[in-house]
Amino acid sequence: MILTPGILARLVAVVVVGVLLQLSFFSQVAVFHVSPNLLPALIVALGLLGGTMTGAVTGFSVGILLDCLLIAPLGGASLVLLGVGYLAGLFRERFEIHSWLVVPLLCAILTLLAEVGFGAVAAILGIDTTVSALVVRDVLLKSLYAFLLGWPIYAGLKRLLRPAIVDDLEARRSRRPTVLGA
Amino acid sequence: MALLVIGSFVLLTVTYGRGSDGVQRGVSTIFSPVQSVADRALKPARDLVNWFDETFDARGENSRLKTQLDAAREQGVGAQAALAENAQLLKLVGLDRGGAIPSGYDTVTARVTGRNPSVWYADVTIDAGSSDGIAVEDPVVGAASGEGAALVGTISAVTRGSASVELIADHGSRVGAKVVPGGAQGVLKPEVGDPGDLILDFLNSTKLIGRGSSVVTSGWRGPGIDSRYPPNLRIGEVVKAPIREQEASQLVHVKPYADLRSVDIVQVLTGGSRG
Repeated sequence: MILTPGILARLVAVVVVGVLLQLSFFSQVAVFHVSPNLLPALIVALGLLGGTMTGAVTGFSVGILLDCLLIAPLGGASLVLLGVGYLAGLFRERFEIHSWLVVPLLCAILTLLAEVGFGAVAAILGIDTTVSALVVRDVLLKSLYAFLLGWPIYAGLKRLLRPAIVDDLEARRSRRPTVLGA
Repeated sequence: MALLVIGSFVLLTVTYGRGSDGVQRGVSTIFSPVQSVADRALKPARDLVNWFDETFDARGENSRLKTQLDAAREQGVGAQAALAENAQLLKLVGLDRGGAIPSGYDTVTARVTGRNPSVWYADVTIDAGSSDGIAVEDPVVGAASGEGAALVGTISAVTRGSASVELIADHGSRVGAKVVPGGAQGVLKPEVGDPGDLILDFLNSTKLIGRGSSVVTSGWRGPGIDSRYPPNLRIGEVVKAPIREQEASQLVHVKPYADLRSVDIVQVLTGGSRG
């Protein structure tokens, strides 16, 4: 990803709007009693578009902002989400995205991984009570919602960050070649 | 990458258990008004999505309620007697059946502006903070499913314009509670991931507890240590009290009166004396 001040401003706006939208809307609605978690899918999309560094840094930033707004101990969410962004970026650097299913599937898998990560951080900080089996259902439903939200988020961000994306083959193909002397 | 990981661990170590620090206060001060505006602007959209969820849920519940109605009719006579006894006991101990706010407390009404997206945490942020007189460990009540107010949690961190509420369904929550009638006391703790099912544990009574009993805060006071909740705040109702579980480990299951998944407006009880 080619980082210019304009692209940096767009990335900051994406992070801020994403976190505010999650806290003010997605966390407060329930579909089958479970709230969708937009943030891992957002970070996966950024990691797939920008690579490991973009994924990790935006994941870290989203986590810090989330913890600040929730007035929670800083670092827990950023640790998990930077891992999510790094893994998505690593996928982008190692493999080609051949099918449209890759993005939603990655969003679902990494959302599941993020929830397991949040659970691990909570366990490290101390869970001194029983865990309901409903957690499994909730995590699976959150992954399903991430699957459904994954493609629109990826497509929207791709459009927003198009000038900065290095290997945007689709854009190059659709561009008409300039005929010299015509 | 390594720097970010180390940074996260350092932040976690430094800020864990410290409430809010300077960075959080600054960020919160900047974003609180924005969050509040976003929360109000998105309310119609939230209500629409939640309406679909509740309608779907209500359809499934209809047939279940019909079955329950038959069983309830049979239990009606017994329930009337229990209600009369309950009212008498409540009168004796001076409890307000409406779940009113304990005397000596001021209330600050606040709107929920954010909710932790992870299944492992049950905490919300509200749009009122220390400038409104809110302090850490202030009890928080919300609308109960029937009437009146019921306990939803306690303030865990506070900034100038916002505060974090640790709900009673959060894995870190412990509430000293007692069963009325009967007075059996214990500690109410959550089951992570299921805000509709709390567990009243360590009951200090050999008397068996029946379904339908109310659970309120005990508000105990000991030498050098007080409960953070005032006594007799309504919490929930005993929904499952298997005799085997009670005899083996003295625990019963409690359904909170307040819907902890969709709590929207809360009241923070400030001032007053604890225990």
